[in-house]
Amino acid sequence: MRAVEPWVVAPLRAFVAESSARLALLMTSSGQVVAQHGFVGALDLMSVAALGAGIVASSSELAVTVGWEPFRVVAHQGKEQAHFLAWFDTPRGRWIALVVFGSETKLGLVRVFFEQLVEDLAAAAPPEEEPRREVLAADFERELNASLRALFGR
Amino acid sequence: MIEDIRTLSAQYAADPASLVFLRLGEALRQRGQVDAALKVALQGLGRYPHLPDAHDLYARILTDRHDYATAFDEWDTALRHAPHHIGAHKGIGFLYYRAGEREQALYHLRIAASLDPDDLGLRHAVERVGGGAEIWDMPMPDAPPPREASAAAAGPSSAAVPNPADPFAGMDGGHDRLLLVDADGLRLGGGLAAPDGRNVSDEAAALLAATTREAARAARLLELGGWAHLTLEGEALSACLLMPSPETSLLAAMDTALPAGQLTYFADRAAKAARAWLERVQ
Amino acid sequence: MTSQFQAMLDGLTRLRGVRGALVVSLEDGLVVAESVMGGLKGGALAAIGATLAGRAVELSGRGGFGRPRFLHLQGDDGALLVAPGHDLALVALAGRDVPIGMLRLEMLRTAERLG
Repeated sequence: MRAVEPWVVAPLRAFVAESSARLALLMTSSGQVVAQHGFVGALDLMSVAALGAGIVASSSELAVTVGWEPFRVVAHQGKEQAHFLAWFDTPRGRWIALVVFGSETKLGLVRVFFEQLVEDLAAAAPPEEEPRREVLAADFERELNASLRALFGR
Repeated sequence: MIEDIRTLSAQYAADPASLVFLRLGEALRQRGQVDAALKVALQGLGRYPHLPDAHDLYARILTDRHDYATAFDEWDTALRHAPHHIGAHKGIGFLYYRAGEREQALYHLRIAASLDPDDLGLRHAVERVGGGAEIWDMPMPDAPPPREASAAAAGPSSAAVPNPADPFAGMDGGHDRLLLVDADGLRLGGGLAAPDGRNVSDEAAALLAATTREAARAARLLELGGWAHLTLEGEALSACLLMPSPETSLLAAMDTALPAGQLTYFADRAAKAARAWLERVQ
Repeated sequence: MTSQFQAMLDGLTRLRGVRGALVVSLEDGLVVAESVMGGLKGGALAAIGATLAGRAVELSGRGGFGRPRFLHLQGDDGALLVAPGHDLALVALAGRDVPIGMLRLEMLRTAERLG
């Protein structure tokens, strides 16, 4: 497990252990990776983060278009694996969780422990020392690369 | 047809040295009075230690009690006294089949069928083990090399005879209804046979530890306190899972038709035996 | 259909010591219908019951026990009871000192109506 922000590690570790998730990824709504568990390659991680953020954005847009509240959770059930994608608000802004799980657990259990994760992250977040600035497009790649170095130890 | 137990008991009481104990023991066994049948069989064997039918009766009762290793030895003894004993060939054939030793099973069942060609049940058994009616067109094979009795009786992947290394030595179901595994799902002792006789010990062992872990987690998350047991009623067998020690899991199984309350009693007794064994070996 | 389930569940939660009863989807462990006392999280009970049932189904299959009809997890302070059907399961949480035999019969009867 690797995290850009160390305070995320304990809640995410507990979530992975309890939910039996195979892969877990926490990212900001702009696709910056905050923490990951189980990914072995930087390329996989980058693609998954970008696609996950994209799915949340497009499904939220779809909900708005038809006049509903934005979907908070999107779950896809495959034959061997399933994934759970959800956004949530933290003291550091809106984040997205992407969880890949198999037959050893169930969507209901992942949801239950996801709710716990959201509470644990809110409790663990240290107070911010300075106001966060918006992530600019120009900074995105540099920040992503910095995050990947932290997440994979390179 | 089951003979009248009262009449046979009276005859046996009148002449304890007679061979009526064979009929009385079998009648009791068929009525499900296994303990009484066992007593009669052992008294008979005491008088007639070289009588093949007495060993055959005793072996059938032991099979009812799931003590397959001793049953095998008894039928083997019967065959040493009477190489053409139909019951002993049938019994040993059954035990080999149960242990997954098809070739050995077929050999003994075919001998039994050749000795009693009118036994349709036996013919069906031969066809089932042999893969169809074509088996009768095949020549009778030579005797395959015999396996160690206890290994055949316990199953292909089971540890051998009841001995001090066996946590359930001397317990009913110790080889096919009680299974003790470590935290990694590796078998420590006992065994499990499916209702069709297949040895499923290792397959079940791998899942047993994971299931007890899940049970412990459910109890923790639902704030049920320390969990005592998980019982599982299946259509054919019921099982009780518990943890005799923090690092081991135990499964005790019984026919679903038996009273449900007996299951936890059986499991508790097995857990005590497992704990005593763990203390000895650790 | 959900209101039909609701009536079944209300019948179970009227029994002494039953803190909650749910109809749960076995595949994903989500709540289909629930009748739970305040303070009890139906979603968690559903997910935990379905996960345990999933393990039991797997163990029953490997052990040749036949399809599981009933599960009973007994703890010092209560019991989790599950009657798995084909796609749905009936899950109940009972407090301490509840006569499990009676509840078991009632759950098996109710589970038959789930199909």
